[in-house]
Amino acid sequence: MNRIFEWVDERTGLSGPVRDFLNYPIPKYVHRNFLYTLGGLTLITFMLQAVTGILLAFYYDPSTEEGAYDSVDYINYQLPLGWLIRGLHHYGSSAMVILVSLHMLRTYYFSAYKKPRELNWLTGVLLFFLVLSFGFTGYLLPWDQKGYWATKVGTEIAGSVPFIGSFIMHMMRGGDALGQATLSRFYAGHILLLPASVALLIVIHIFQLRHHGMAPAITTKAQAQSKTFVPFFPHWVLNDTLAGLGLLALLVYMTWANHAPLGFPADPTSNNFVPRPEWYFMFYFQLLKYFPGALEPVATILIPLFLFGSMILLPFVDLSEERRPWRKPVTTLVSIFYIVVIIVFTILGMAAYA
Amino acid sequence: MAAPKLPPLPADKGVWDDHAIDRRGFLEAAFGVLAGMGALLVAVPGVRFLVGNSLDVTATKWVELPIKVADLAPGVMAQMSYNADETDEWRAVVQRGIVYVSSPDGGNTFSVLDGTCTHLGCIVQWDQDKNEFVCPCHSGRFTHAGEVISGPPPRRLRQMATKVQDGSLFIEI
Repeated sequence: MNRIFEWVDERTGLSGPVRDFLNYPIPKYVHRNFLYTLGGLTLITFMLQAVTGILLAFYYDPSTEEGAYDSVDYINYQLPLGWLIRGLHHYGSSAMVILVSLHMLRTYYFSAYKKPRELNWLTGVLLFFLVLSFGFTGYLLPWDQKGYWATKVGTEIAGSVPFIGSFIMHMMRGGDALGQATLSRFYAGHILLLPASVALLIVIHIFQLRHHGMAPAITTKAQAQSKTFVPFFPHWVLNDTLAGLGLLALLVYMTWANHAPLGFPADPTSNNFVPRPEWYFMFYFQLLKYFPGALEPVATILIPLFLFGSMILLPFVDLSEERRPWRKPVTTLVSIFYIVVIIVFTILGMAAYA
Repeated sequence: MAAPKLPPLPADKGVWDDHAIDRRGFLEAAFGVLAGMGALLVAVPGVRFLVGNSLDVTATKWVELPIKVADLAPGVMAQMSYNADETDEWRAVVQRGIVYVSSPDGGNTFSVLDGTCTHLGCIVQWDQDKNEFVCPCHSGRFTHAGEVISGPPPRRLRQMATKVQDGSLFIEI
């Protein structure tokens, strides 16, 4: 066994870098705090989405005239374990959005975005939006009523951007109306462009993390543990693995208890179907109701631009050395305001369509 | 811009070829130009390929509605779907849509409204009791003539061009 290992190492030279990667010292305050598993858990979920996504691609047919819908119907109801693979992919996407959000909130409240980690925060913000793009493009693929109408509304929102909106909308749809070109585009984006971009950004994100190490501890208790270390492998990896297994069990249970839904086939002429987005876009869908006529661009452009912009600018605006959230009330209160707004409008939106 | 000096090689390995090193700046620039050209050669046709036929304007055409003019009852708002043969990329498909047809005088003058909400493209519903259209997405409301009453829609419902041929009603889509 050892001789095989040495033979391979002599020819690849991998053992040094791999050993360095695995022996990387993790401060004890990080190892002891489960909030630090959120990033690893997001990565595990991404791997789960990649595996289940590749499996689904073996059966899925990206064509509008019955192909897409019927193939998803077949996967869901006839294929052995099809319900499980599609269900894991379906619930996994929600898990991904939740975990990325929690991971970002953890980073936010621990002030881990501050100098010199600004660019790591930015790759994280970019990854967050790529995850949302995954959700948006994946939603259309079953070509059912939900996906069709959510995409119609979503692309119209892009279309309401002044001057270039029409161009963006046509590029997203691949034409004037929603059709085969739209489905092909969303499919290619969902299974090729987005995974490649996300994988590349994850490598950069982790490389930056390793370069700077973990952000300083914020509590005195944690600071007392910041000079003691455990190796990344196996101590830290085992934490992530346990959390990942727990998540997998939860997703399997959710899938088993409630199979991933598939609505009626897309019908451009139905007026009794009430379009509604996936739950994580619900607050925004609800917000759109409050901006009549000429104010529409406020909701469709200014608000998303403001949200995205403030996330990007955060590490360049909050320059103080203070890292404890209870000592920097402005950022803490702003985040709580956003969270409350999102929760309230999500509930309003859910109630309106219940 | 002069290329930064290279660190010396370990003595047991050998030495840099100084003659070749002198041309380093030129070679770097040459690489930049050639690689840039290569990237452009792929990117320009690539972008054109991606745009594809996305920006084509679909020609308008006349479509027959499944009703005879004589059958239009006065004051009734009739919801109708139309079918039009269309080519979606390589595939022949039937394009379908919803319109609302009304005729105040029972067949002499008509109003045909596109059922697509001008806000974000959902299909509006006719509420007979309130005598108005309601959009199920964001609660936009329109009068029976298609004018905005309230809610987010920026424009009135699209009034479609109509013509009558052999007693059948045609609309321009």
